[in-house]
Amino acid sequence: MNEFFNQFFDFTVMGDHFDEVLDGFFRNLLVFALAGALALAWGLVLALLRQLPSKKFLPVRGITIAYIDVFRAIPILGVILLISGSIPYLEFIPKDIRIPHWFGQPDPYWYGVLALTLVYGAYMAEVYRAGIEAIPRGQIEAARSLGMSHGQAMRHVVVPQAVTKIPAPMLNELISLLKDTTLVGVIALGEALLIAREVQAETFNASAYVLGCAMFLVVCLPAARLVDYLIKRNQTKVARGSHIAV
Amino acid sequence: MSKTRLTALFAVLLVGVVSVAIAGCGSDDDSTSSGAETSASTEGGGGGGGEPLSVGSDIPYPPFEQGKAGEYTGFDIELMEAIGEKIGRTPEFTDTSFETIFRDVAQGKFEAVISAATITEEREKTVAFSDPYYLSEQAILVQEGSDIKGLADLAGKTVAAQQGTTGLELGKEKANAGDLRAFPEGPDAVNALKSGTVEAVIIDAPVAQNAVEETGGVEIAEKVPTEEEYGIALAKDNTELLEEINQGLQEVIEDGTYTTIYEKWFNLEPPKEIVG
Repeated sequence: MNEFFNQFFDFTVMGDHFDEVLDGFFRNLLVFALAGALALAWGLVLALLRQLPSKKFLPVRGITIAYIDVFRAIPILGVILLISGSIPYLEFIPKDIRIPHWFGQPDPYWYGVLALTLVYGAYMAEVYRAGIEAIPRGQIEAARSLGMSHGQAMRHVVVPQAVTKIPAPMLNELISLLKDTTLVGVIALGEALLIAREVQAETFNASAYVLGCAMFLVVCLPAARLVDYLIKRNQTKVARGSHIAV
Repeated sequence: MSKTRLTALFAVLLVGVVSVAIAGCGSDDDSTSSGAETSASTEGGGGGGGEPLSVGSDIPYPPFEQGKAGEYTGFDIELMEAIGEKIGRTPEFTDTSFETIFRDVAQGKFEAVISAATITEEREKTVAFSDPYYLSEQAILVQEGSDIKGLADLAGKTVAAQQGTTGLELGKEKANAGDLRAFPEGPDAVNALKSGTVEAVIIDAPVAQNAVEETGGVEIAEKVPTEEEYGIALAKDNTELLEEINQGLQEVIEDGTYTTIYEKWFNLEPPKEIVG
């Protein structure tokens, strides 16, 4: 039992390597910030493409649904490895784009952001879809009969209401995205857990893992509480039968 | 969807998950029991075999350890099997990750570790090592036609190595690289070199040699002698097995089996320091 505590709760090891692991965690946050923002936008685009009306847009809807299904079905680790392993070989793309070092970030950062955006875009599209489909059909019909186009009805009537219904599930996706940024370690981006593994290799002590995980806890726990609060607030509104402010 | 249909759906999913889990455990059991049976039958047959010896190794790390589960092969694997034959034990290999390998052998998860592991003072605090069975060099692996001619040219470059290895240590201490990336597995680092995302890889010379022969497009810029010796690692208190393994290794070297295995995997004559 003593050995167990030495292995996982050696505060000397944690103290000695705190700065390194924290540096790594900032890289997690950096991946999260960009991939999160891009996925929120990309997910909305996908959700809207999926809602396009009429026969004319059938192929677009089909492709969108196929994209969402495929990226929800592939393990994220696989997407990261495939992207980082394939894009550098596309020689028709200029080298600065296929092996990007923009804004001082190394190429694994950008491959990671791209992979997580592609996958989480698909996840978030489904969340947006739930929000959009929760808006009664009659509202679109009313908007259209007032002379709005489908796009205008979406922009001014449906989407503003839809997004007020989904902060809780969306926050869940974001928490999960933050944790999945650790997967980018597999292509040698020095994120918190990769650095913790390196510390383990040097010291034969797993305390750095605990430290790395604790950093995630500090961010994710309050977020989880916020999810609960948002769900509760939403339910109260529905229960009172009051309309949702736009 | 009615409630009963929903229940039925969950039931189907549950059965699916449980059967996969059982199948998984079942195949594990199969492999161990079949391993035990083979060793038992070889014992009955008279030659070699004997009690199983659990050995941990970080696979793949060609040409030291490679192959699929149950059919592992490589220099380390064949050497361990040859030693096992001398001491009347049948090695059973388990794939594990390198950064936890010494902790695990120290804690008794395996009886021995053979994993191209360099003997270092740091590691000797945790585990005991056998006599050295291999002398190692690090190689700077680069793309064919690269400007990098050796360790001195790595300054400011993007360099990769495998996590927890002496190659990474060398990179940290002497390469002065612009960006030193630690990949969880060695082959991933070589792939990154081939794809051009890193400019050099610091890795054990035989692994580099193997990459040159197997994948092409890469070459060894320089070999850096590191005075590294590989040893078989055991728990510190397992002195009896340590003596047996050292004895077995000595016999394998004396009867020429070592040379045969060495030449098979490295296309080189074994160094005088080991074969005498």
